[in-house]
Amino acid sequence: MYIVVSIVILIAIAAGLLRAFLGPTLYDRVLAVNMVGTLTVLIVAVLGFMTERPEFLDIALVYVLISFVSTIAVLRVYAHRNTEAAGGTTGPGDK
Amino acid sequence: MEEHLINNVLLGLLMMTGFAIVRMRSLLAVTMLTSIYSLLSASLFVVLDAVDVALTEAAIGAGISTILMLATVALTTDEEKAPRHKPLLPLFVVVATGAALIYGTLDMPHYGDPMAPIHLHVAPTYLHVTPEEIGVPNVVTSVLASFRGYDTLGEVTVIFTAGAGVLALLGYRTRRRNSQNPEIRKMVVLRVITKLFFPLILLFALYVQFHGDYGPGGGFQAGVIFATGFILYALAYGLGNVQRIIPYRTLRIMMVAGVLIYIGVGIESMLLGGKFLEYRILADDPVTGQHLGIMLIELGVGITVAAVILIIYYGFVSRQHQEPPEDT
Repeated sequence: MYIVVSIVILIAIAAGLLRAFLGPTLYDRVLAVNMVGTLTVLIVAVLGFMTERPEFLDIALVYVLISFVSTIAVLRVYAHRNTEAAGGTTGPGDK
Repeated sequence: MEEHLINNVLLGLLMMTGFAIVRMRSLLAVTMLTSIYSLLSASLFVVLDAVDVALTEAAIGAGISTILMLATVALTTDEEKAPRHKPLLPLFVVVATGAALIYGTLDMPHYGDPMAPIHLHVAPTYLHVTPEEIGVPNVVTSVLASFRGYDTLGEVTVIFTAGAGVLALLGYRTRRRNSQNPEIRKMVVLRVITKLFFPLILLFALYVQFHGDYGPGGGFQAGVIFATGFILYALAYGLGNVQRIIPYRTLRIMMVAGVLIYIGVGIESMLLGGKFLEYRILADDPVTGQHLGIMLIELGVGITVAAVILIIYYGFVSRQHQEPPEDT
């Protein structure tokens, strides 16, 4: 039961990876990373129940709380770059 | 059997990601792929039952290291330069080293072999002694904080040195403008979500800090999660606002204080007549003493780690606000 679920999630992760490799735009990659992050949360949870150690959920929780921070950071850097390129000013953009 | 299948699939995905990282030239894309790499390797650690390592990878790989790499990209450039020399010599070196390493693994015991030397040397003692002498359910914590307390002290010192090194190289510049980027003001969703998540992240960091004796976690992971919470706040509300909560000066004190707490526990146990870092002497009951000692040194580790990461982040971001010299 759990094994089927984890295989399906792994296939979905592979699909997300493919999108991250191919791109072509930055937004595709950001979305792919976000999706792989969510799927990782799922697979860690499923693995925890498969091996009958549900305390693995702690790790899944860490991912839920943290993985989106780096996505925001990527978008902030990208937005900052774009405003710089467009306006030519070194604006006070925070990161 | 099932775990082997998942292991192999994850390893295959990891290899694909590794190749893709090597091939790519856009550093922003590479940063994101390394984040995926860490997500996958943390899943692999979970399958291998190394829960503490997985938690560390989750906290550091998915959050902090990606953010620090991005901070570097933001300070430099996001396009990798094409190599000027031919890749033949490096390729030869890498292939030769790889072949030597693979040849070396032939002599190693098989995966999961109970007779492997690593399972015969000190591990049985640790597993035997932990329940009676230390009374901590998570053996990883007892090994890390008690049996190998000296090692961990060394690791904390390394982290402290890294923080001091970054500080010496990058320095820290106080901002003249404390104003916020007007564009961030418009991102209502980000700001609301940050307000919701910020306390939850800090609460979870405290849970990881103090639950490390019972489940996966401990000072290192908690410090990283704590710092990530503040970085999220900085991303949504600007560095100036975070500095109102934790000023740079406080961080510098915290960075030193953590190491001093650790060493202080060691010296205290010496003053009480024991050896350096001999916790059982700290209380009347040896098990309580062990608990107290582990809790205190984990606290020291957590404080140092959180402070060092935030100092590195402050150092990077405070530079971004300056006018780059070549523009003037």
